[in-house]
Amino acid sequence: MKKQSINVKNKLGTSGKDSDKYFRPESKEELKKILEDYTDELTVIAGGTDLLVANYKNLYKIEKWLDLNWLDSFKEIKIFDDKVEIGSMVTHERLDKLDQIKEHFPVIQKAAADVGSPQIRSRGTIGGNIVTSSPAGDLLPTLLVYDAKLKIISKDGERIVDANDFFTGPKQNVLGDGELVEKIILPLEENKSKGAWVKVGKRKALVISSISLALNLVFDNDNKIKDARICVGSAAPVPLRIEKAEQSLKNKKIKKVNIAEIAQIVSDEISPIDDIRGTAEYRRKVAYNITKSALQEVINQ
Amino acid sequence: MKISLTVNGEKRALDVKPETRLLDLIRDDLGLTGTKEGCGKGECGACTVIMNNKVVASCLVLAAQADGAEIKTIEGLGGKDKLHPLQQAFIEKGAVQCGFCIPGMIMSSKKLLDENINPSEEDIKRGLSGNICRCTGYVKIVDAVKEAAHKIKSGGEENV
Amino acid sequence: MSKKYVGKDVLKVDAQDKVTGEAQYPSDLKFEDYLHVKIKRATYPHAILRDLDVSKAKQVEGVVDILTEKDYPDLNKFGLIIKDQPVLIKVGEKMRFMGDALAIIIAETEEAALKARDKIEVEVEKLEVMSNPQRALEKDAPTIHNDIGDLCTNYIDPDVGKQNILMDHHLEKGDVDKGFEEADFIVENEYQTQHIDQLPIQNEAGYALYDESNDVIKIWAASQWLHDTQADVAQAMNLPKEKVRIIQTAIGGAFGKKEDVSVHLHLALAARHTKRPVKLVYTREESMISQSKRHPLTIKAKTGVTNDGYLTAWEVKVIGDAGAYASSSPAVVHKGMYHCTGPYNVQNVRGDSYAVYTNNTYGGAMRGFGTTQMAFAYESQIDIIAHKLDMDPAQFRYQNAYDIGSTTPNGQKLGKSVNLKRTIESATDLAQWEGEISE
Repeated sequence: MKKQSINVKNKLGTSGKDSDKYFRPESKEELKKILEDYTDELTVIAGGTDLLVANYKNLYKIEKWLDLNWLDSFKEIKIFDDKVEIGSMVTHERLDKLDQIKEHFPVIQKAAADVGSPQIRSRGTIGGNIVTSSPAGDLLPTLLVYDAKLKIISKDGERIVDANDFFTGPKQNVLGDGELVEKIILPLEENKSKGAWVKVGKRKALVISSISLALNLVFDNDNKIKDARICVGSAAPVPLRIEKAEQSLKNKKIKKVNIAEIAQIVSDEISPIDDIRGTAEYRRKVAYNITKSALQEVINQ
Repeated sequence: MKISLTVNGEKRALDVKPETRLLDLIRDDLGLTGTKEGCGKGECGACTVIMNNKVVASCLVLAAQADGAEIKTIEGLGGKDKLHPLQQAFIEKGAVQCGFCIPGMIMSSKKLLDENINPSEEDIKRGLSGNICRCTGYVKIVDAVKEAAHKIKSGGEENV
Repeated sequence: MSKKYVGKDVLKVDAQDKVTGEAQYPSDLKFEDYLHVKIKRATYPHAILRDLDVSKAKQVEGVVDILTEKDYPDLNKFGLIIKDQPVLIKVGEKMRFMGDALAIIIAETEEAALKARDKIEVEVEKLEVMSNPQRALEKDAPTIHNDIGDLCTNYIDPDVGKQNILMDHHLEKGDVDKGFEEADFIVENEYQTQHIDQLPIQNEAGYALYDESNDVIKIWAASQWLHDTQADVAQAMNLPKEKVRIIQTAIGGAFGKKEDVSVHLHLALAARHTKRPVKLVYTREESMISQSKRHPLTIKAKTGVTNDGYLTAWEVKVIGDAGAYASSSPAVVHKGMYHCTGPYNVQNVRGDSYAVYTNNTYGGAMRGFGTTQMAFAYESQIDIIAHKLDMDPAQFRYQNAYDIGSTTPNGQKLGKSVNLKRTIESATDLAQWEGEISE
């Protein structure tokens, strides 16, 4: 069948700021005012790639929208001597494509490249990924291996929380009513570091990971491992640092590391569940394998 | 609430609700039904359009978020009088079966070729990884994108 | 065969409309002043509907009307092969799966229809939910369809309850008992396949319009069996066929899923009731819950084999989960059974198949129509046997492969175009297979 031409009349008007159900602050001051007026009535939308899915066919039930997409300051990436600040509204696409991220935080870049699909990466944001706090959130393990801190703001002020302390359970975190993540602060390491990222799912694209692993090793001047961070996703209620494995990596040269031993520690330390994406047993086996392949990848770098 | 945006080069001003999705605006308000809804959850890619030079699932964008944006849909690519090389290649390579995924496939391909006119097979697969074809005609779709790249390169700027 | 098209690229006639976005699928149509339709569906998979109160829902602003069985008590059941599916569930009768329709909500906006749907009050008396056909086959299992009579015609196994058997078939070729005696060893395994949704990217959708001038209901929808759907809608509404017109739109994929009636009947009722154009578009969830699936088959296979790698006998028992309504089950499940040996020569074959009602979403047609499930069973069985024989699985297949003159389990003698051996030769070549293949 061919299309009949449909006559659609243009209506005059612009702005989008004329609704009492939809707020799009363009500055932090405006944002704070809105948070003051409507704290617990607001539904915050960042990229929308989780929110619109969760509320499919129920969007009309949302009373008041707070859209962070017009806050340019939340989209900034600032590079200082000792740290990089990533605004919470930076998209996965930008994290994937920006040279500075690739240079300083390659594990974040790789994880961002593995998120969803081009359509999801172009809208979904690092802040959204954090606040949704899914145990399978792709960026979360990578933030923990870089010792990220989160700057949280509210109408009353602001606070800094360690990413390691932010997540409290599946889709749960320390944010209170009216609190937002403004930026992610990543310390810049003076020493040389190498990292790896492994995501395992049933497909390559548009898949919620069955298990994922982020690895970051910092080396001292003698090429010994000065600091080690291993974090596993989808294997516990929150992204899980494997401190026991980290400890046994420290002060060793990478080539002297017993890879199988570290892999076994990771496999033993996680607390996975049986779910639609895999059994606990499967996840333990895969955790073992991906730990080995991640360490091997670092050795080969 | 009132918003204005540019769709396929034409400036439009519309009245939308906060919960109106960009997809609904395109299909219902503007009558551009080439953009499809397959899942409503960003999984299938049938609703893919280009928004400010980015591919987006229009089912996951609020119309209000497209205020001031520049949108390109399948209808803006070329009509039957002057088909875009991608459209021509999809016809020639037999990449169209039921056709429901095709507008989204072509928009993702457009974005891919805009950025990289010499894509490898891997690049094409990654560029189209957000679009599902349930007739499973992927081989011919990849062939069509390669053919379109070839057409654009040999036809020069005017073809695009 | 004509050389005009075979082996040549042919430009598809509708491709241009599809690459430009011009092609119109059902949800792309637009009628002036149309109404939105939503369906209130079952609240429990197996239950007696005790009360259905739409009074609060009708008060939602924008609602035009809500139709229930009370408004149309004379509707007949529908279905592709067996008419066993009610258009709307009557108070006092049963809902048999989550897709059963309780009420048709007609409203000026989609939002009003959704709000009204939330306000419909349903009271049910819950019954045992049978999600597993093994349970439905037990003698003490509750009967899912009490009102259909004895559907089971060739009832064979005395140990199972027949009350939920929708269709059974028996297959016998050669002398199976003798075949097993001739075997050097016997391999027995059970295989289980799962529900699979056909998942066409375009969900079920359509418009309908009632033409008062000639009392005709027109339905624009994508359908695989246009004329069957027309006849089914007409008989369900007690109308002559010419009073129902189905106008085919572009079809956004189907793969068997659009053989069954979906939006058609509810749209027809709503259009005639309101005398305005009506539109119904399923969500993905609705499509998954209420429309057909590939049947899960439980396949018990027993195969007799000689030490030199030939098949002497093959026996299968097939249990198909038909779900709540018959749809294509009477054809699909036993078709699977008839393919039980795959493309391999076996002189002695026996099979029993049962299509069994459960409270799952019904099984229907999907690419392969029962044979793909069976392929999983016989190809696995072949590999397992080859392993036990310590024989190259390609060689094992090759020496048992169909050729001209082979007979299938149902006795069909293959007269031409039997290319399995050539296929195995080419495949092993292309795969650079290590083993040698010979007769």
